[in-house]
Amino acid sequence: MLNIITCFKWVIDEADIKADAATRKLLFGRAGYKISAYDRHAIEEAVRFQEQHGASVAAVTVAPPSAKKCLKDALSRGPDSACFVNDPSFLDLDPSQTSSILAAAVRGRIKFDLIICGEGSDDLYAQQVGPALAERLGIPCATCVSKLTYAEDEKHIIAERRLDDGMETVLVPLPALVSVLPGINTPRIPTLKEVLGAAKKEIFNVALEELGDIPGPYLKTVEVVAAAMDRRGIRFSADEEGVRSAVNALFKEGVLSQGVL
Amino acid sequence: MNFQLTEEHQLIRAGVREFCGKFVDPVANEIDQEPRFPSEIVKKLAEQDWLGIPYPAQYGGAGSDYLSYIIVVEELSRSCATTGFTLECHTSLASYPIFKFGTEEQKQKYLVPLCKGDMLGAFALTEAGAGTDAGAATTVAVLDDGEWALNGSKIFISNAPVAGMTIVFAMTDKTKGTKGLSAFIVPAGSPGLKIGRHLNKMGIRGSLTAEVLLQDCRIPKDSLLGQEGQGFRIAMMTLDGGRIGIAAQAVGIAQAALDESIRYAKERVQFGKPIASLQAIQWMIADMATEVEASRFLTYHAAWCCDQDLSYSKEAAMAKLFASETASRQTNRAIQIHGGIGYIKEQKVERLYRDAKITEIYEGTSEVMRMLIAGSLLR
Ligand SMILES: Cc1cc2nc3c(=O)[nH]c(=O)nc-3n(C[C@H](O)[C@H](O)[C@H](O)COP(=O)(O)OP(=O)(O)OC[C@H]3O[C@@H](n4cnc5c(N)ncnc54)[C@H](O)[C@@H]3O)c2cc1C
Repeated sequence: MLNIITCFKWVIDEADIKADAATRKLLFGRAGYKISAYDRHAIEEAVRFQEQHGASVAAVTVAPPSAKKCLKDALSRGPDSACFVNDPSFLDLDPSQTSSILAAAVRGRIKFDLIICGEGSDDLYAQQVGPALAERLGIPCATCVSKLTYAEDEKHIIAERRLDDGMETVLVPLPALVSVLPGINTPRIPTLKEVLGAAKKEIFNVALEELGDIPGPYLKTVEVVAAAMDRRGIRFSADEEGVRSAVNALFKEGVLSQGVL
Repeated sequence: MNFQLTEEHQLIRAGVREFCGKFVDPVANEIDQEPRFPSEIVKKLAEQDWLGIPYPAQYGGAGSDYLSYIIVVEELSRSCATTGFTLECHTSLASYPIFKFGTEEQKQKYLVPLCKGDMLGAFALTEAGAGTDAGAATTVAVLDDGEWALNGSKIFISNAPVAGMTIVFAMTDKTKGTKGLSAFIVPAGSPGLKIGRHLNKMGIRGSLTAEVLLQDCRIPKDSLLGQEGQGFRIAMMTLDGGRIGIAAQAVGIAQAALDESIRYAKERVQFGKPIASLQAIQWMIADMATEVEASRFLTYHAAWCCDQDLSYSKEAAMAKLFASETASRQTNRAIQIHGGIGYIKEQKVERLYRDAKITEIYEGTSEVMRMLIAGSLLR
């Protein structure tokens, strides 16, 4: 039976973020949290494997203790157990730290053949935690995976990768890590019984002291402000002349270049 | 005292919101306009374990509490009042009497498929001459040759055309008034059972509302629900719980009116700025939000009383009274905030305005709610 780890991040629900009109500062006052949407696909893919091949699935997250609520949310989506790697200092971690913490938490503690991550997180979308975790664990990694199959007899997976310049199909021996794209599946909406059943599943807590040395951050956030979109207020008519001037305007702005045409 | 929903309740709400965004919102307008019964959505409700929320797992239910059920009705109604009400009628009006008064055999035969969504249920109390005055029912049931024979007709029966079974109230002893009323389980396809006219409604237009005609309708002897003469009590207890469901439906409609109003007020520009910057609009929005929140608390409190095994009849009446009148007021204000466009079909607020009104009428009118509340205070 396969042992699968699926990693997920508890992020601020972007729908709740407001921006101050004058300073463009982000206001998080009443913002709720949710499982990063990409990671819901990772969890779903793990659960699909569980249903099709009889795998055991552990959902792992690194977060401050205040994020405890995320565990039932994750467990209601199908994993058998959750591993909560938590410390009050686990706030605004950069990807190198998160991957170190995950590696330290997983190594020797959770058995795995396959680790499934989301391609990136809803908040940072750095796309680094997956590959960095694989590197630290010394296992192969396939990113941008849009289809995953398991060759049960041969102990490898076949991953279809959606890349900028085409599709690539790779055969990866297990143990391995994949990071998945949203197109890979449609995450289920947990049924009521699944929601109620989440409370009965096993949760492992892992504390900072159990992890050994965790490196400091490489990144320093200087400022976060809301993106402002300035409109030029130029109108184009729908006739030939209008289309021509719209195209010219795009050239002038550098949106289009001669090379593209 | 704790005003916070449990993690489970929050997850349930998030799940229904996601469900609605995916499956209900895209078709809610069409359900109202055609109108059509949303059978494909009802099937999905079953897959989510939402058709038997407060009933135990041994009867096919989800084994959850009443508050979970109320949250689901609220959120479904926020997207589509027809869908919210269909679930409410099925769960509160049709399933509850069997859960509370049915024999083990009746529960296995009917409650299990009802909870699993293998059949929908209906509840037939009202008659042309017996609405608020349910004791004036003229439908009769007599034992004949080892079977019950039912004769009479019911009106305004929700879900009847799609129901696998209907709880029918009929007089077994006319001389006793309300004490002569009994409840029966009438399976679809029973000889002599006919679905009459479908009624063309102002709101919840996708919900099926029809006459139920009983012409020497024959059902087995063991179809009696509870005791002979217990029908009025069964009906009243069923409606007590149902009213919390209707209150939740009203809260959902009122919340949707508020959602739409906030969105529109920020978008609509007049005199060079969004109308949301006008105090006249701000005050309406503030009042709407406050009344919606008050309705929600009354409704959740009634559901909580029910979950705590406390008496909840007065609480349910208060919740239904306040939430239903709130829904009518807020949908009216929402149209006012929208101006002319709010009066045009295919605008959600136009539908909400029509959907809200029924919550003041069915499962006991506002007048009846006031009578019940006063009655319990002045006893
Ligand atoms: C869409 C829809 C769905 C329905 N679904 C169902 C269903 O599934 N099953 C079912 O059995 N019924 C159903 N009903 C019936 C509904 O419950 C009744 O319409 C309601 O109880 C009111 O009865 P009535 O229409 O006969 O009004 P009436 O009883 O005639 O009332 C008319 C007016 O008089 C007032 N009034 C009556 N008596 C008193 C009194 N004693 N004191 C003060 N005021 C009083 C009422 O409040 C109301 O304002 C449905 C109705 C509708 C419109």
